[in-house]
This record gives sequence, C-alpha cells and structure tokens, in this order.
Amino acid sequence: MALRGLAQRAPQRGKHRLFWACLAAPGILWLTLLFIVPFYVVLAIAAGQLNQLFGTPIAEYNPLHWTTGNLSAAWRDIAGPSAYLGPIFVRTILYTAIASALCLLIGYPAAYFVARFAGPRRKVLMLVLLIAPFWISYMMRMLAWVDLLQTNGYVNSALQFLHLANHPVNWLSGQPVTVVLGLAYGYIPYLILVLYAGLDRIDPALIEAGRDLGLGKARTFMRVTLPLSRQPIMTGLLITVLPMLGDYFTNQLMSGATNTSMIGNVIDQQLSTPLFQGEGAVFSIFLLLILMVPMIYYVVATNRTSREAV
Amino acid sequence: MHPREGRKGRGVESLFTPSRRDFLQKSAASALLLGGGGSILAACSSGGTSGQVTGATSLPLPRPNHPVTWPIHPGNKAIKSGLAPEQNATLKIYNWTAYINQAVVNSFAKKYNCKVEVSTFNTMDEALAKIHSGQVQFDVFLGVTIDVLGPLIEQQFIQPINHSYIPNITQAWPDFQNPFYDGKWQYTTPYTIYTTGIAWRKDKVHEDPYTMSNPWAMPWQPKYKGKVAILDDYRESISLGLMKNGIFDLNTTNASQIAASGQALQNLAQLTNVQINNNDYTQIPAGQVWIHHAWSGDIAAALSYMPKGVPVDVVGYWFPTDGQGPVGNDLVTILKTATNPVLAHLFMNYMLDLPNVMTNISWNGYMQPLNEVTPQKLVQAQILPPSLMSTVVLPSYFRRGVMELQIPVSTNLLWEQAWQAASKGV
Repeated sequence: MALRGLAQRAPQRGKHRLFWACLAAPGILWLTLLFIVPFYVVLAIAAGQLNQLFGTPIAEYNPLHWTTGNLSAAWRDIAGPSAYLGPIFVRTILYTAIASALCLLIGYPAAYFVARFAGPRRKVLMLVLLIAPFWISYMMRMLAWVDLLQTNGYVNSALQFLHLANHPVNWLSGQPVTVVLGLAYGYIPYLILVLYAGLDRIDPALIEAGRDLGLGKARTFMRVTLPLSRQPIMTGLLITVLPMLGDYFTNQLMSGATNTSMIGNVIDQQLSTPLFQGEGAVFSIFLLLILMVPMIYYVVATNRTSREAV
Repeated sequence: MHPREGRKGRGVESLFTPSRRDFLQKSAASALLLGGGGSILAACSSGGTSGQVTGATSLPLPRPNHPVTWPIHPGNKAIKSGLAPEQNATLKIYNWTAYINQAVVNSFAKKYNCKVEVSTFNTMDEALAKIHSGQVQFDVFLGVTIDVLGPLIEQQFIQPINHSYIPNITQAWPDFQNPFYDGKWQYTTPYTIYTTGIAWRKDKVHEDPYTMSNPWAMPWQPKYKGKVAILDDYRESISLGLMKNGIFDLNTTNASQIAASGQALQNLAQLTNVQINNNDYTQIPAGQVWIHHAWSGDIAAALSYMPKGVPVDVVGYWFPTDGQGPVGNDLVTILKTATNPVLAHLFMNYMLDLPNVMTNISWNGYMQPLNEVTPQKLVQAQILPPSLMSTVVLPSYFRRGVMELQIPVSTNLLWEQAWQAASKGV
C-alpha cells in the first residue's frame, strides 16, 4: 500500500514542480533579461578593449579573449602613482555608515511607535504619511532641500533669526554634513517601512510574557523587542546601504564639490566619458562586489535565524 | 563647443539634460562617427597639435595658423542663384535647446509666408548621431561647432551655400567671409561667439582682476573657500589651469603641462573646496559663488537672474583686454537633404540682419559677430548693462584669442585623466 501511495504521489509532485516552475518563469525571464544579460554586457565591456580611435569600449563576449587593460587602468587610479580614488572609497563608506546609522536612529522609534502604539485608526494615517514621500520623486525631494539650504533660504534665515549664525552658512558648497543628511533624508522612508513591517509582526504575547515575568519596560524592550527586531533592522539597513553606496545624485545636487565626491560620482563621470567607459565598467563591478558583502551576510544571517526558529 | 550646454550644466538642470562637458568629451567620437577618423589617426601618429595637413585619406585639422578651404564634392553642389523661395513650405531647423528667440523664428515665418519648425538637441553628439542615422530630415542645422565641420563636409551631410542669397554677410565681421575653419565661407555662416573668463561679485571680492598680475589665478584664494567655482568642462577647466600656469596653447599635447594644470586644479580644490558646475549665470547673481570661471554669454544674462534689490553692477566679468583668452564660435549650416534649401539660405541671411540679431541676443544672451553689434549698441538697446560690457566679444578677441579645438585622441586621454583626477567624478 505504502509503495503504491508513493508511486501515486510521485507524478503529483512532478506536476506541482512544473506548476511552481511555470509560476517562477516570468520572474526568471525578467531577471535574465534585465539583470544577468546587462551584467554580462558590463563584464564584457570591463574585460574588453578600447577603440583607440573612437575612444569607445569594445565589448568582448568571449571570456577566452578577455583582457585586463581596463582593470589595470582602474588599479592605476586606486593605487598607482597618480591614484586619487582611495580617499573617495573611504569617504563613500564613511558617509554611508553615518547616514545609515542616522536612518536607524530616527527610523526605529518612528516605526516602533506606528507598530506598537499608533492604534488602528492612527496607524493607517501614519502609514499613509510614511508612504507619502514615495509619491514625490527622490529628485524633487532633494531639490526641495536645495531650495531650503540656499544661502538666502529658509534654513539660513531661521538660523540667523535665532542668532545661531551670524552670516548665512554655505550648506550647498562642499559640506559633508549636508551630503550625509541628504542621504539619510532620501533613504529613510525605505528603512522605516521595512522596520514597521517587521515590528508589526512581533507577537504582543511575547512582550507581555516578558512583562509578566517581571521585566520593566526598558528591559522588556532590550531583552524581547530588540532581539526580535534584529532581522527587520538588517533588512532595512541593507535596503538603505545598497543604494547609498552607489549614490551619486545626492552629492551632485547638494554639494557639487570635489571634497564630498563619492564612488558613484566617479562611476557616473567615467561612464559618460569616451575613453573611460571600460574603466567605469570595472568600477561598477567593484562596487557590485563590495555590495555583495552585506548581501551575503544578510543571506547567511537570515538562514541562521530561520534554522534557529525551526 | 557650445554655450547651450553650459546652461544645462551639472547643477539642477543637468539632471534633465547632459552637460556641455558631455558634448566636449564626446566630440572626438562624434567626429569619427561622421567619418573624421582619419584626421585623428593622422594627428595621433604625428603627435602634433596644430597646422598639420594629413594624408589624402584623412581630414585636416583647421587652426588659425593653418586655415582650411574644404573641397566642393561633385555630387554636392550649391543651389542655383535666383530661385524663388519654396511655397507652402515648412522650414525645419535643428538647433540646441533654447538657443534661438522664438520671436525671430516667428517673424521669419511671417516675412516669407512659411511655417518654421524648430527641433532641438542637447548635445552635438546626439545631433550628429541622428543626422548620421538619417532618422531626421532638417533644412537648417544651427549651432554647429567648428570641430565637427570637417567630417560634416567630408561625409556630405551639409551642402555648400550660394552666396548670392546671403548679402547680409557684409554685416558680419570680415573674418567670417574667410574663416580659418571654412575658407571662403563655402559651407557656413557665423551664429554666436563667446569668450571664457572670470566672473566675480564686486561687493564680496575685493580684488579686481583687471589690476591683478595673473587674473587667471584669481580663483586660487583660500579666503574665498566655499565661494569659488569652475566650469564643469574638461577642456575649459584644464585650460584654466594651463593659463594660470602661463601656458596659452589650449590644444597642447605636452603631457607635463597637462599634468601641471591638473595638479593646479587639485590644489584649487584643497584651497577652496571648489565647486564644479556650469551654473555661473545663476550662482554669481545669487551670491552663492563669488568667483566663477564663466562663459561671457552666461554672465551677459546676469540681469535676468539678479535677486530683488541687488543691482547688476555687483557682477563683474573679466576677459583679458588684449584678447589672449579662450574664444569660441559656432555656425549655421544647411543640410544636404534640405527640402527647402532656398528658404534655408534666406534664413541664414535673416540671421545676419542687425534687427533680427539684436532681437535674438536680447533673449539668447550670446552675442553674434556683426559689425554693428558693439558694446555701446547693446547697452543703448538695454540688452546689456554697462557694467557687463566686458562680456562683449570684440573682433580683435576673435583674431588674437586662443581656441580650444579638436585634439588627437592620445592627447585627449591625457586631458581627460588630468580632469578626472581633479574633478573626482563631480
């Protein structure tokens, strides 16, 4: 009987597999067309050659013919005698770290409040308010800040009115603080939404159990809520860190000075410059490799958490 | 080189359109796209910068000391004289974005009882690619830059012009009846002309470049940290470094000179947190920047951007009084595929007539090289404030000025490397 049952279930399993494979097909096709193929093109350009006449890259699709010319050029700019990229890499990581920490510091309490204390009616309102920034493009939000931070803008007017500054501050000309705040402001909605989704799913019974076992509010938060928030925090940080590391737009708009330049700016410039597009492709792959580190950590940590939960 | 891209620079506007730099960076590729590779190849092989005439299969590089008269190809002759303008026609103009006063276009349409359609591009590269692909069919190609002229002629994309339709050429500076880039003006008439200099706020900066021993070094002042900007344009800014170092060959192939210029710009960044953008026309009037490496046409338009209550007199523009500074101009051409070549010729003529030119400058900001367009006339017509008469380009500037012209690819690479290290991706 048991054998017959197994034999009957086997074709069914096959059908199920086919069904799920069909469901996954559009996604796989999408990923293939819009990620893997373009990525291979970037790789082919990075490992290709340069047309010395046209200054344009020649993509080399056959790995057997790949060259290291662009890689050498990239290395020259990182560690050669005329290298200039070291400080830019460090700055990019530093700005991203500070801005992400700021996002977390500001975003966590906001998400926590909405998830735990807002109440059903206010929760909807708060969620709408949290989503509201997405209705306006990132660029428009940055432009609004540009307007506010002008030398004759409202921020300077307020500072002078409150006697916090004697003369207008040059917020938009090479101020690292402006770029970091811009990054934090730009990406914080993503973090809050992810945190909210995670915090909202924490079973209130666990928190109540902590309280019943004699923990105070603060200790309950530290011993119960915060450990349970680890996964949403990691997801949220990942979602903000990844785009921040490649961001060029914020610096371009809110500083425009070389002392706040980030790696995204260098890649942007190189990809729009004949003779340098191959090198730009190399840096794009470098950046991708750097971004892989937090992504792999995230995947490993998520798997570990899942195993622990089981 | 084109001032319109200056207006669409690396600031807010650049988010919508590429910068002028983008065009300059791609100009060599553009030229080659149109078949001018031979000139670059030859130039590469000889390593020279100016005046070399290359082999039979390549194009010459026009230079002021090596003028070029282009051939008239057998299959590409000018139209005959005395033809009537096309009837019920629509003259199609291909032009930079925001580079002609619509009032002038409308008055031309009214005068010649035709319709006029203006299509726009944001970079010369984009325009050339479209023309090369044959996707577009226009009559007039406006704002053509000197460095792509040879390939356009060689590939027969533009047609020779019949001078009999353009009597107003006499209103232009005599130079343009035999310019070095188009001997005997066989293919072009002039459009705008401009200089690159230093703009500054007189009420904030106490140094006067006119009394400085080296005004090109004016931005290198740490006391103005955060208030200094240079143009986001690798040719213009490396040229600034060269001139600061006393070198006025702005097409130099000398690697050490180029490297020294790049180093000077890096020092400038350390000294002043220099901003890199093409927003000279807004930042100086608004006082956001006090010293800005600038284009004359941008600063000529300062009046339109002054904040309420701030007189335009506080804006200054310096260009060497002896004319030894960067000068650029661009051109009007007629495409070979023009379906309304007579109207196109008449349009060329129209754009050299003083009243139309004055109307155009009043909106465009950028000067046109007519004999009657003098600083006094522009001030009298209230197009230009008296304090900004220095933005006017004089014939002597065109004759003595230095031009940033097409350079060999190998040299271009050096310029680009120096610029990338200095601008750090900004």
